[in-house]
Amino acid sequence: MTAQARPMQRRAIWRRAYWRRTALAAEPYLYTLPSVLLLCAVMLVPLVIGLTYAFHDVRLLDPMSGDFIGLEHFRELYADPAFWNALRNTVTWTVASVTLQFGLGLILALLLNRLFPGRALVQLLVFLPWAIPSFLSGLNWAWLFNPVVGPLPYWLKALGVMAAADNLLSHPRHALWGPIIANVWWGIPFFAITLLAALQSIPVDIYEAAAIDGAGPWVRFRRITLPFLAPTMAITILLRTVWIANFADLIVIMTKGGPADSTQILSSYIFTQAFQRLDFGYASAVATVLLALLLAYAMALMVLRAVLMRRS
Amino acid sequence: MELHGKWSWALHYFLLAVFVIFALFPLFWLLKVSITPNDLLYGEGVRLWPSRSTFEHYASVIAHSQFPLFFRNSVIVAATTAIFSTLLATAAGYGFSRFQFRGKYWIVGLMLVTQMFPLVMIIAPIFRLLKPLGLTNSLTGLVIVYTAFNVPFASFLMQSFFDAIPKDLEEAAMLDGANRFAAFRRIIVPLTLPGLAATLGFVFTAAWSELLFALMLNSSSATSTFPVGLLAFVSKFSVDFGQMMAAGVLALLPVCIFFVFIQRYLVQGLTAGAVKG
Amino acid sequence: MLKPLLFAACLIAQQSRADTTLKLVEVLTSPERTETLQTLVKAFEMQNPGTHVEITSLAWSSAFEKFATMVSAGDTPDVVEMPDRWLSLYAKNGNLENLEPYLAQWSETKDLSDRALEIARAVDNTAYHLPYGLYLRALFYNKILFKQAGIAAPPKTMDEFRDAAKKISALPGKSGYCLRGGPGGLNAWIMFGAAMAGNNIFFKPDGSSTLSDPGWIMGTAWMVNLYKDGLAPRDSVNWGFNEIVAGFYSGTCAMLDQDSDALIAIAERMKPDQYGVAPFPKGPSGKAFPTVGYAGWSIFKSSLHKDLDWKLVKALDDPAANLIWNKRVGALPIYKSAAQAPFYSSEQLKGWFQELSDPDEVPTLMPTNLPGFAYFADSLVVRTSQQALLGQISPADMNKQWAAYLTKAKQKQLSGK
Repeated sequence: MTAQARPMQRRAIWRRAYWRRTALAAEPYLYTLPSVLLLCAVMLVPLVIGLTYAFHDVRLLDPMSGDFIGLEHFRELYADPAFWNALRNTVTWTVASVTLQFGLGLILALLLNRLFPGRALVQLLVFLPWAIPSFLSGLNWAWLFNPVVGPLPYWLKALGVMAAADNLLSHPRHALWGPIIANVWWGIPFFAITLLAALQSIPVDIYEAAAIDGAGPWVRFRRITLPFLAPTMAITILLRTVWIANFADLIVIMTKGGPADSTQILSSYIFTQAFQRLDFGYASAVATVLLALLLAYAMALMVLRAVLMRRS
Repeated sequence: MELHGKWSWALHYFLLAVFVIFALFPLFWLLKVSITPNDLLYGEGVRLWPSRSTFEHYASVIAHSQFPLFFRNSVIVAATTAIFSTLLATAAGYGFSRFQFRGKYWIVGLMLVTQMFPLVMIIAPIFRLLKPLGLTNSLTGLVIVYTAFNVPFASFLMQSFFDAIPKDLEEAAMLDGANRFAAFRRIIVPLTLPGLAATLGFVFTAAWSELLFALMLNSSSATSTFPVGLLAFVSKFSVDFGQMMAAGVLALLPVCIFFVFIQRYLVQGLTAGAVKG
Repeated sequence: MLKPLLFAACLIAQQSRADTTLKLVEVLTSPERTETLQTLVKAFEMQNPGTHVEITSLAWSSAFEKFATMVSAGDTPDVVEMPDRWLSLYAKNGNLENLEPYLAQWSETKDLSDRALEIARAVDNTAYHLPYGLYLRALFYNKILFKQAGIAAPPKTMDEFRDAAKKISALPGKSGYCLRGGPGGLNAWIMFGAAMAGNNIFFKPDGSSTLSDPGWIMGTAWMVNLYKDGLAPRDSVNWGFNEIVAGFYSGTCAMLDQDSDALIAIAERMKPDQYGVAPFPKGPSGKAFPTVGYAGWSIFKSSLHKDLDWKLVKALDDPAANLIWNKRVGALPIYKSAAQAPFYSSEQLKGWFQELSDPDEVPTLMPTNLPGFAYFADSLVVRTSQQALLGQISPADMNKQWAAYLTKAKQKQLSGK
């Protein structure tokens, strides 16, 4: 009886262990599955469909369109001066917005990092811009910049920044700064809050030790604060850059891409091509190029982060 | 970071004042336009305060427009999205934080890529996807789409919170016989309560002010949210700035309330995370 | 056995009749308009018991994208408000029902003015919509600024216009013309171009565009010079609708060209002694060519209740309803009999009726039925006209680009597509 029972027991133990191992291996998938399923169903499928438009002649509302045309759109894109113009503007827009938002957000985070009376109130007040819908914010800023109804042109003239009280948004060379300023106003809270949190997690003793060792504030900032912030910086800068590159709302509302396309960015150009020229295929091709560029940027950032982390 | 001395505090308060003024001035302008009567709107546009103020815009918005309905819809959609997104993101964030598994980077990549494609291009496919399911012109459809869009960012955020909690805590609990999920639920999650608050806050605000999907997916006023309601003030021949700004000011209230509520957790909350990315 | 069956059948028939819901979409939405529409619709519902009309109001600023997305996904309405710019797109794609058979049987068809019928048949000489009104351009001017600058009467010719603009621009902080350099500015370029050229012919018989002819170039150059000589505000290079009316309301610029439906918004914000309406100034040939736009009601081919839809269209657009509707929306009537209505001899609308009765003011239809017209008007013209205003390209260059694009579009249309 015992001789027979042992192989059975062993098999039972083995079976339990097998299921245990499988359950363990499956665990991460179980945690991530709901999100993945939702994303695949709601975003991935439309995304893939949207990408396929780039290779077909898809015209809005034209049921006869939709032929496969391969790389034709990409060739058209390469030769399109409006595309390159939009690309240049996108780079200016994104780099300026992210740099200013991050820089000012970091300063604000550092300021909020010290305890002072009324800190909670100040936190609330500086968070408010984030709560305004972008469309309302765009209209509000357009109003502010318009000399007919807003004060900013007169102040800019008084400060000597502008020669006459004109609308910044009508100057082809400088119009892009209008939406950039509006974007910075709106985006500082995001960086301020996330960086503040990261700052608050840095143990105070490290600073004290460094101070005792004679390190000045700038050195402490460089050697302690920055390395601790690096991971948060990486993810927030990555995400913000991606969002801003795709964020044309403020531009469309404040300047509609003008004057003379000087504020047209890829995202607004895509919108124009899709809904004015009704050429969804071409619009999708431009979107695909933007996607590829952003992916390359993301990978570069990941590599950079890995390198930096290994060094520290 | 310790800086000593009166000068450093003076500089500190000065800079804070600059930031607060910069943040508040456009909001002040919103408020100013919202109490300016229509006939003075263009004539006295540049003044810092109109010669005559009125609350008629607020009265119109509250009593004669459909804004109470739009606010209600926005609150429902934003709150539901925040809750679901946080639930999904907590699970996913935990998964990213604690495990190395095959396909992890593919999933992370998927999450990133969905943020990179302009929404304008996928509106039409999403509409076509939701229509046969009866999810267009409904608040549910909106919640589903918003959740899908917010989960990636929320997941990365939650991941960084979990990263700050040492793995030994669950391991200890599991050695005592609890399974991982129970350890997760009973020990880890309470420690990240602050982090949950932070995620809720960001997602709520994002869903609250979203316009594109709300505009394209829903047509009836019964299912419109407040940003769509704002757009209705822009007709072909006039922009009703007074009422629009009044509605905008009113819309700040729920967000303020929400933020004040989670504020206590917020700063502490993100505190626990984001050290090790 | 038969009786209960028959009874049941009658009940079911009653039920199905009672359950008809028509989907009506309006696109040029504003709160007051929607109210008027609801009133007309309620009257229709009472006349047709068992029918319910569901009104969807789209915000105009995003109406095109939204409606196009809905239609391309199969979410089609029964009756839709069809602006002139959209007509060709939806008609050519086979979305709209041919209304000729309905018109042939309708008693009011003979009361429709010739222009209204011409407009109804704008695409393929077939009626794809029943227009409800015409929007004719005229010149709005600021009486107070005119008095300040010592100008007695609104300008009748382009030379007088330029003079008036010059005098007003000499006043500190004021400008003569509210130039629309941003989106939507095409109409002004066409009106001044045509006035200079002396005709409003867009295409030669072979389908090539006339816009590169010397007369038209002189017209656009004239307008560019208005801007370059400071007769329009410096910022107007990027002005859209909001900015031109803000400029007009605030008294920053004195003259504005707009349609009759802008009158309602202007009347709400300015007193009658502050502004006036005059016919569009004439060019050297003695003629002016104010542009005319239109909108109407269309029935979608995919609708399952076409007869009922036609009834609804009639209820919205028969002479009685049309008068009520146009009073609200500010369009000019489509019926010959309407011209007699006392409403139309009011002080403000006088300007338009003056225009209509003057043989030298020739209402001009824009070629909105050309494929690709939307891109032309909203993108190509905006970009090139801004470049011309800023001096980056010459007016001749701009006209040549326009002519090249339009020629291509016209030839595509002529070749049958």
